[in-house]
Amino acid sequence: MFKLAYKALIDRKIRSVLTILGITVGSAIILALIASSAGLNAGIAANIQKSGANILTIRNSGGFFAAGSTNTYQLSQQDVTYLKSIPGVIAAYPYYSYGANINNGGESIQATVVAIDLVALPALYQGLTVAEGSIPLLGDTTSAAIGWGIANPVSGTPIGLHQMVSMSISGIKGSKGAVSYAVLASGILAQYGTALFANIDDTIYISFQAGSILSKSPYFTGIYVIIDNTNDVTTVQNTITTYYSNNVRVISPGQILSSLQSITASLTVFLGSIGAVSLFVATVGIVNTMYVSVMERTREIGILKAIGYRPKQIMGMFLAEAALTGLIGAFTGLALGYSLSFLMGGLLAGSTFTGRFGGGGGGATIVPVFSTELIVFSLTFPVLLATVAGLYPAWRASRMNAVVALKYE
Amino acid sequence: MPVATRTAPAVQTVDVTKVYRIGHTGYPALRGINIKIDRGEFVAIMGPSGSGKSTLLNLIGALDRPTSGRVIIDGVDLKKLDEDRLSLLRNRKLGFVYQSFNLIQRLSSVENVEMPLISRGIPEKVRKAKSLKMLSAVGLHGKGSKRPAELSGGEQQRVAIARALVTEPALIIADEPTGNLDSKTTREVVDQFIQVNKGFGTTILIVTHNSEIATMTQRVISLKDGLVDKEEYIQRLDSYSA
Repeated sequence: MFKLAYKALIDRKIRSVLTILGITVGSAIILALIASSAGLNAGIAANIQKSGANILTIRNSGGFFAAGSTNTYQLSQQDVTYLKSIPGVIAAYPYYSYGANINNGGESIQATVVAIDLVALPALYQGLTVAEGSIPLLGDTTSAAIGWGIANPVSGTPIGLHQMVSMSISGIKGSKGAVSYAVLASGILAQYGTALFANIDDTIYISFQAGSILSKSPYFTGIYVIIDNTNDVTTVQNTITTYYSNNVRVISPGQILSSLQSITASLTVFLGSIGAVSLFVATVGIVNTMYVSVMERTREIGILKAIGYRPKQIMGMFLAEAALTGLIGAFTGLALGYSLSFLMGGLLAGSTFTGRFGGGGGGATIVPVFSTELIVFSLTFPVLLATVAGLYPAWRASRMNAVVALKYE
Repeated sequence: MPVATRTAPAVQTVDVTKVYRIGHTGYPALRGINIKIDRGEFVAIMGPSGSGKSTLLNLIGALDRPTSGRVIIDGVDLKKLDEDRLSLLRNRKLGFVYQSFNLIQRLSSVENVEMPLISRGIPEKVRKAKSLKMLSAVGLHGKGSKRPAELSGGEQQRVAIARALVTEPALIIADEPTGNLDSKTTREVVDQFIQVNKGFGTTILIVTHNSEIATMTQRVISLKDGLVDKEEYIQRLDSYSA
């Protein structure tokens, strides 16, 4: 049956290819979308989970998150004291953060320098461990814990333990141009990835005291607030927002997660509907192709009737053709969708909102997620759709009058 | 000379009429046909256009139903059969050969011959072997992989005959089978029918305009205005021994 169907499709190559192409594109788009948005969601969720949903980031209102703001409020030690006093808050860690260029034997590596009370690291980044050496002690202003990516750069020589890391730091207020700075790598962090808007692997952690000396300023880049119970996050966030009005920016991972997920969801719905429309058009295309094919082969249907094919068998033959069209489209769609999903993942990762998750270093990569259900779905759905599309033309074929069909020219 | 009837005749029609309706007007094509064709007979149906030849053939071929009367094929009254059963009967008991060959162009000749066997669900190996054998029997040995377009008219018609024969039908119905062929090929094809009739004992019913062909059969039934005009048995020196 399928052999005959195959021959019938081959007989009308171009038409079949065009029909199949419709199915291919439709199912490829849907597959790629679902896979890459599943990947995106998984990436975001993992990121948030790593950062911990119980951490709020307080930042100065100006700058990155509110370009053009004229607000001049700056976070200082009194803010830390205030934040610590809010019920439910167990700790508040101020930090300085700067962009830096590491000179590594002529090669220049982009990095972020973060100065923070280093005992906070395990609380901020769950599961973060030290691969080699140790984290600098409190007050140590000459040592640093360096991220995995700094120690093992993509190009250039790796930086080993107890090696001197010299860098030029930019963006320090009151300093013209970059400030040169050198620290000893006393610890190398294990590979971690991105969390809380920073790529941990591309970060150099120095003690808070070193940061104060470097910045020559009592004002921090931001403050991390750790809340005891995740359920209290919203309450605490509201308290802070009310207290500061618009002077500071409060960022909660959960909020970011939900807003990102709603963006992803609407993006998926939007692109998904394009895919659905193209699949619908492809289905109409099958109906059309099959209908024309039935009309063209009226005489052949007459022959089949004369040599004793039952109506059901004739219907089956045309349904087999439709199903085969769908099956070929499903497989080519799977192949195309697979490649497309990586492309789409790249595009999504490159877009602004996910880019922030990548921090200063390399952008976050979205690995498309292909669940078994998705593969099975993308192989069966087009076949099902094509078969349904073939129902009416096939039924018409089976109901043809043999005598009339045989006379058809 | 008709072959003696052992059981039921291959074809029997009892007061068969067929009226085509266009709007409220009825056009009678057949007005009471009574014929009987015994097993193993080779019968020609003749008559001018509009005499009802094709209509009768469609009724005997189980492709259409009479307005009244009965058509009995190999002892089976077609009236009692539904669409599925009629298809089955066509597949089991009948073979068709048409003026325009009616082969499926995209399939090879052996695949064309296989078609009725596919509907029976016969395994590919068996049906292929059977079809190739049948092609050889009609003189098309080695041409199984050729498509209809690559064959001459006579060869195409022989593929059609092989397709009609492969199911070992009780009756072959041929509608102007030589209408599209030149006189030499016509002769070859008619010879083929005679061989099949003699060799396999297949009953053959052939509609033709060509009286020369008609004289090669055993009996000629002439239709006129939807009625049997005359029936004559052909007496001849048998020059076509198989």
